[in-house]
Amino acid sequence: MASVSSLEQASAALRAASAEGRTVRIGTDLDAAGMSLVLEHEAGDLTCTVEAGIRLSALAAALAPSGQRLSLDPPGDPTVGACLAGNLSGPLRHRFGAPRDLVLGVTLVLADGTIVNAGGKVVKNVAGYDLGKLVCGSRGRLAFIGRVSLRLHPAPVAAATIVVETGDPASVAAELLASQLVPSALDVLHPGRVAVLFEGGAAAVAAQVRATRALVGGDEADHSVWEESRARQAAALGRTSLAPGALRGFLEGAPAAVVRPAAGIAYLSTAARDETPEPVRLLQERVRERFDPGGVLA
Amino acid sequence: MPLSPAVRAEIGAVVGGRHVITEPEQLRVYDCDGLTGWRATPELVALPGSTAEVQGVVRICAREGIPFVARGAGTGLSGGALPVVEGIVIVLTRMNRILEIDLASQRVVVEPGVANLDVTRAVAADGFFYAPDPSSQQVCTIGGNVAENSGGAHCLKNGFTVNHVTGLTVVLPDGEVVELGGKALDPDGPDLLGAFIGSEGTLGIATEITLRVLRRPEAVTTQLAAFGSTDAAGEAVSAIVSAGIMPAAIEMMDRLTIVAAEQAYHPGYPEGAEALLLVELDGIAVQVDQDTAAVDRICRSCGAFEVRVARDDAERALLWLGRKGAFPAMGRMSPDYYVQDGVVPRTKLPEVLRRIGELSREHGLQVGNVFHAGDGNLHPLVLYDAAKGETEAAKALAEAILGACLDVGGSLTGEHGVGVDKACSMPKMFSERDLEAFERLRRAFDPEGIANPGKVIPTPRLCGEVPGPYRQHPLELIGLGERF
Repeated sequence: MASVSSLEQASAALRAASAEGRTVRIGTDLDAAGMSLVLEHEAGDLTCTVEAGIRLSALAAALAPSGQRLSLDPPGDPTVGACLAGNLSGPLRHRFGAPRDLVLGVTLVLADGTIVNAGGKVVKNVAGYDLGKLVCGSRGRLAFIGRVSLRLHPAPVAAATIVVETGDPASVAAELLASQLVPSALDVLHPGRVAVLFEGGAAAVAAQVRATRALVGGDEADHSVWEESRARQAAALGRTSLAPGALRGFLEGAPAAVVRPAAGIAYLSTAARDETPEPVRLLQERVRERFDPGGVLA
Repeated sequence: MPLSPAVRAEIGAVVGGRHVITEPEQLRVYDCDGLTGWRATPELVALPGSTAEVQGVVRICAREGIPFVARGAGTGLSGGALPVVEGIVIVLTRMNRILEIDLASQRVVVEPGVANLDVTRAVAADGFFYAPDPSSQQVCTIGGNVAENSGGAHCLKNGFTVNHVTGLTVVLPDGEVVELGGKALDPDGPDLLGAFIGSEGTLGIATEITLRVLRRPEAVTTQLAAFGSTDAAGEAVSAIVSAGIMPAAIEMMDRLTIVAAEQAYHPGYPEGAEALLLVELDGIAVQVDQDTAAVDRICRSCGAFEVRVARDDAERALLWLGRKGAFPAMGRMSPDYYVQDGVVPRTKLPEVLRRIGELSREHGLQVGNVFHAGDGNLHPLVLYDAAKGETEAAKALAEAILGACLDVGGSLTGEHGVGVDKACSMPKMFSERDLEAFERLRRAFDPEGIANPGKVIPTPRLCGEVPGPYRQHPLELIGLGERF
């Protein structure tokens, strides 16, 4: 296990491995634990650039004084690089998206040690290919992620959670999704519960709590349900996808799951098979071969 | 090498003879997109009617090594749909069906030739809308939006095309068909969907597109604020965002564009304004009310001499008409204009607007500014008269403005794309190594280099053998340079 503390060190390590024909598992044989700085945070731009080894908790602490946050809450306390590589998200995925929706630019170290930049640090940019998105979900097989520029959001002034105990979570979720309410999170904790998070100004949060209770019932609860949801997600043995409109049928066939219905993602208590279609798998392989022709990244 | 009669006949057999254009007069219709300064006449135009027909045509191209350019409505502003001489253009406008509306999933599946606004029209009665709203949304197609990762005024809050496409059927440049994503988000593996969107037609042709549609917000307000200087308006933009308010849109117009828009559409913009902000807030009614009041306060404290809220949908539409029609309105002010699309961090807006003013005076040409201020996406319009020989001066000024954007950590293009227009400027933003990494992705999808060649990544033929970083461009190194 080698931790690097700079792009140059990561580049040297991968160059050496390439030359010697060694394979490297990013995150295991080579990690960015020594690269954990916030390099830039311009509050007025709602953006920051960080080294990929920074943990979400450390980044949150750095952003808090400005009243801002990275709206990404996967289970545990992974690094930003791990979030991208694993495309990790949590309940906030409902409103704020996955890492691929929050990444503005990246600095990568390719398998041969080449350091490359893609994207930028501004919130809007279509110059060149979006390699920052490409590496999301790549599990360390395309490149070492060194630096990441991210879109931030204002930290909410107020927040409230409602838990609806129900025998028919599909209907409750459908009612909420069809409404004009704007939850930050909406999880089905199958069987039996739907959890909803509202964030924003105090008056808007209160109004949405009232509207939700009128629409689907439920009670205001503390935020511990989100810890439970994230814990169940972390303990899940499989993940599957579903069309949001197919929630009812899905729940009927699954004994237990945490479902983010708007995204169509379900975390299962049983193993799930890889759903990648064969032509897509072949295309993934073609991309991997171009970025790592020597097969260094395992 | 011209297309052989046998190949022409074969393409005709795939799409039907009526849907192949080979007459020089008719081909000329396709010789440019919205960037009319670049023109090239293709050998042939094919209008396929299905994924299978696109696949059939692309397979012929792959077998024969014929370059192809996909095209929708041709409203692009970077020459992304500029034909390749000795190549063919594949026009997707016949594929204009909405295939499925699945509101329980909040998804709509369309063919690439469907116009952007038609998606919203199809779901509006049920209270939904499609968020990305480029100014050309009446005519621009979803296929083109996917190619360019189009934005629009309202992408500040809701994001770009890439945030609203959940699935694509793609015909790859070798003729294989892949399904990237679907109705659910976050498929396993690297985000090929995200990499494809915005790839400007260089990685393949999207033939079916699954879109996310959003529920109409409970409340919307559109505010107009008039300022005595662009500096003050720029300060207000940063102050609004720093206050934790996330408007759906913040647009800015300077005096020149205000006057042009007022003459063209009479939206009732305040007289004497050096800069206008158009701020739209949407969401939960109580929040919108609070934020509207806060925006009013912030604008006034930054020096706005008039702030008002559109009273109804009609006034809102009128205020937006002046903004969305600003480019054509500028046509009344000047025989020619050149649009830039640079992006700057929004905190740098006042500084960069001042710099643009200086550059305008130095180059002796007027610049109108009308742009997406909330996300720092400038659209400086360089006004010139080609008949007076000002074209080169206009290009030089536009280049200088892009340089000013990059100097503060910005981008060459926020939404119009690189195309041919900005390909030669890419080395100003990306190193040779970065561009070589882009080439790796391109080659993974298109090893033969037949999908929209000459776009996005600079080529020696396009950019010349200029001294500097690109004498040994990656394209040359891998032996592709001479092909173009």
